[in-house]
Amino acid sequence: MENLRKLPVYLFAALAIGFASCDSDDPAPENEGEVITDVTLTFQEVNASGGLVGAPFSAKASDPEGIEVGTAPTIQTVNLVKGKTYAMAITVFNSIENEDITAEILEEAAEHQFYFLGSAFTGNILTVSYADPNGVALGVINRLSVSSSPGTNNTQMRVILRHDLDKNFPGANNPNFANYAQAGGESDLDITFPVVIN
Amino acid sequence: MKFRHLTYLLFILFLLSTQVGYGQKCDLILRGKILHQENDEPIEAAYIMLLETRTGAVTDQKGNFVFRDLCPGVYTVTVQFLGHKEVRQTVNLTGSTTNQTFRMEEESIGLSGVEVHGHRDAVQTTTAVTSLYGEAMLQSRGESLGESLKRVAGVTTFSTGNTISKPVIHGLHSNRIMILNNGIRLEGQQWGAEHAPEIDPFLADEITVIKGAETVRFGPEAMGGVILVNPPALPTSKKHLTEINLLGGSNAYMGNLAVSHLGGSDKIKGLGYRVQGSVKRAGNVRTPNYYQANTGMSELNFSGSIGYSSDRLGAEIYYSYFNTELGILRDSHTGNLSDLEEIINNGEPFIKPAFTYEINNPKQVVSHHLAKIKSHYHLSPEWKINLLYGFQLNNRQEFDRRRGELNFRPSLDLELFTNTLELSLDHTRKQNWSGSFGLNVIQQANSNIPGTGVTPLIPNYDMVNLGAFAMEKYINGPLELEGGVRFDTRSVSAARFVNNQLQTADLEYQNFSAFVGGLYQLSPYFAFTTNLGSAWRPPNVNELFSQGLHHGAAAVEIGDPDLVSENSLKWVNGLEYEGEKALVEFTVYANQIQNYIYLNPTGETFVSLRGTFNVYEYLQADAFFYGFDLSGSYTFTDRLNGYFKGSIIRAKNTEEENYFPFIPSDRMDWGFSYALGKKGKPDSDRITLSNLLVAKQTREPDFDLAPAPPAYALFNIGYQKKLQVAKNQFNIGLQVNNIFNTEYREYMNRFRYFTADMGRNILLKLNYQF
Repeated sequence: MENLRKLPVYLFAALAIGFASCDSDDPAPENEGEVITDVTLTFQEVNASGGLVGAPFSAKASDPEGIEVGTAPTIQTVNLVKGKTYAMAITVFNSIENEDITAEILEEAAEHQFYFLGSAFTGNILTVSYADPNGVALGVINRLSVSSSPGTNNTQMRVILRHDLDKNFPGANNPNFANYAQAGGESDLDITFPVVIN
Repeated sequence: MKFRHLTYLLFILFLLSTQVGYGQKCDLILRGKILHQENDEPIEAAYIMLLETRTGAVTDQKGNFVFRDLCPGVYTVTVQFLGHKEVRQTVNLTGSTTNQTFRMEEESIGLSGVEVHGHRDAVQTTTAVTSLYGEAMLQSRGESLGESLKRVAGVTTFSTGNTISKPVIHGLHSNRIMILNNGIRLEGQQWGAEHAPEIDPFLADEITVIKGAETVRFGPEAMGGVILVNPPALPTSKKHLTEINLLGGSNAYMGNLAVSHLGGSDKIKGLGYRVQGSVKRAGNVRTPNYYQANTGMSELNFSGSIGYSSDRLGAEIYYSYFNTELGILRDSHTGNLSDLEEIINNGEPFIKPAFTYEINNPKQVVSHHLAKIKSHYHLSPEWKINLLYGFQLNNRQEFDRRRGELNFRPSLDLELFTNTLELSLDHTRKQNWSGSFGLNVIQQANSNIPGTGVTPLIPNYDMVNLGAFAMEKYINGPLELEGGVRFDTRSVSAARFVNNQLQTADLEYQNFSAFVGGLYQLSPYFAFTTNLGSAWRPPNVNELFSQGLHHGAAAVEIGDPDLVSENSLKWVNGLEYEGEKALVEFTVYANQIQNYIYLNPTGETFVSLRGTFNVYEYLQADAFFYGFDLSGSYTFTDRLNGYFKGSIIRAKNTEEENYFPFIPSDRMDWGFSYALGKKGKPDSDRITLSNLLVAKQTREPDFDLAPAPPAYALFNIGYQKKLQVAKNQFNIGLQVNNIFNTEYREYMNRFRYFTADMGRNILLKLNYQF
């Protein structure tokens, strides 16, 4: 009975603790770790014997806000010369976190792959092949050849980065695999670069 | 005071009117109702005797009794029921029909051998109410709460695959309905379409669905209806009962074990306890032709309560824990609009792996703690004071497929604290009146756990809701009338960082709600109920503040901080017939909702480096929902039984004159059961054959990712065997769901865009009570 008499005291103590412990935390700014803000295609001419010649040049697609609702990304034009072959390297960067995502993609090469689609390839204006070290089909480093008679000066190159795909899916090792979605996974990048052929 | 005058007046009118026919015609009727003083629950099988005529009557399930062919005069009525004080009262019969309600008080537990009535409160409402218990509950074991509730006409589910399902009452779900875990309103992150209620269906021995607007009784947001998940009442005398459920399913190789034990102390009278726990594990769900990748789940739950009850005091402490890990169909998680379109065009997932129990990202990990203290004290036979306090902590983590270290970090990590406190006073007076009034506080704090590497979808916020309510009920024989009012005020203060800028908002909402209702027992077989109730719901934080990409859904959702509260007015009418062979329940309703909040596709797309996304915005418009539920059963012979359940819902945006997405299509479920047992005990073996028919939803919204799937029909068969092992009960159930392995898609399943629904599932259910 003695205990029962004290019961209300315990009850109210429990209530008081419950209510006091129940304030929301102050919000903390969250750094977008996953976001890609800059994608750079770097080109350098390759001569007949396979050596790199001339100065490298690049075309960049950037969206400083990542995927937040805001301004549309700015995408630079790729200028190429007909009949030439280029080494094309792709770098992916998160400027919010100041983090090079290319390194992560290389690390998880088994789960990532770039695909190159668009009129530049369907119109046989450009041809592309993976040139990554150790023969992995990844697409961070590529060989890109421009037709000597492209028929048009303006075309488009769509660069897609797939994540979590089945790389053994039939046809998935083709850099121009239009049915990439069938290999599963999801798109981390889907950018269409305008291409001008001189 | 006014009422007293009114009764005098009525009495005088009565006397005057009866003067005319005072020629000693013995055709008078005395009707009545017997209720527990404690909680207004009807008492079945109470014995009523008229001393003068030496005639007796026994109350039916609803506590009703009737005497016919009585002569005018004064009679002495006695009412007897085991464990209750005898009622002796004189009744003056004058008019053609006299109605009288008697309340019976429990005898003090000092008397030996008397069973004390448990303190579980019954739902007292004139709205349409349906409960799942006993056999129906046994058959639903192994299913999630949402799935179990599909057994109630008018209740469907809004689901995300086969593991996440939210109950839908009359077309409303999520924050528009309410779920009570043992009397405490469940507060999780209910706003999300893919957020299932955090509750273990095994803790209940009864699940009740109230289909009316019950804001006055239960607080804001209960505009579509209320689901009460109630454990059995704690024993108040020496008694022990253990129940073991063991279930296995062939689809997803599901295994489920649940154990509960309840007992009453023999040392301290009135002291009882209950402990309960369950574990569940399932792997990839199989559609008729393939496995759905990453659709496994695991669940671990337990609860315990201890209670004391004497003739004046009742107290209970309760705690429940819910923990689940749910895999989300891999291919439903898309990177951008073209991914989404690709998979929808494909008609099935691209990845079709073998069976596995393994759960990978994307997945959800959710835990929920709920603690409750409840007590009541009878100040006098007429007055009872109640205190109810609940504490809840909900943790929700959602993991996406991400690169590197981030893959091990959740993209959404929320911690929600909720305190609820209710102080109320119940009274019963003059046999006919009963009511309740009280105060209610809900306090909530939501925090994003930092470190997700994603701008939070919803901000951190603090919410306080203060409410005051009063309701009163009048019972006179076959007639029950009730009404109530409530006032709530809610303040929300939210804050978060977007692009390193602090955004804050302080919001206030005030609302008044009310209801009136009635029940009339037209005859011993027929009852009519009607209830008109207003309800409101403040906008959710996600509706106010969403700003950005909904990961995986390829949608950019834009909230609107200027949204106002939704206000609804729901009218529910029910007609119930309970004959010897037939049972019919018909519910018809209309629900007018002002400022209904919905996610509207803007038709615009948003372009980013990741690709293109559809843009959705939260808008408000007036909505009108109406429809009916019909259910019934018929006993053809003592072996053959038939049943039927069906519901039709119509919902329209009355401003735009178009339809809302995810409104259940017309459906019916019907079947026969045949008892195979020995003569005299035919129910020991029963075979049930049922058929579910679901129509195509032809009232589609203007924009949808894919057209509504076609109509479908599923056949199920079940076999139930009851065995008596010594004094113990052993139940064996064998069920085959979707016998013909039909490939179908349910309109209310959000994964219908990506995959077919579950294929054939053979379930073995063992239940042992000792």
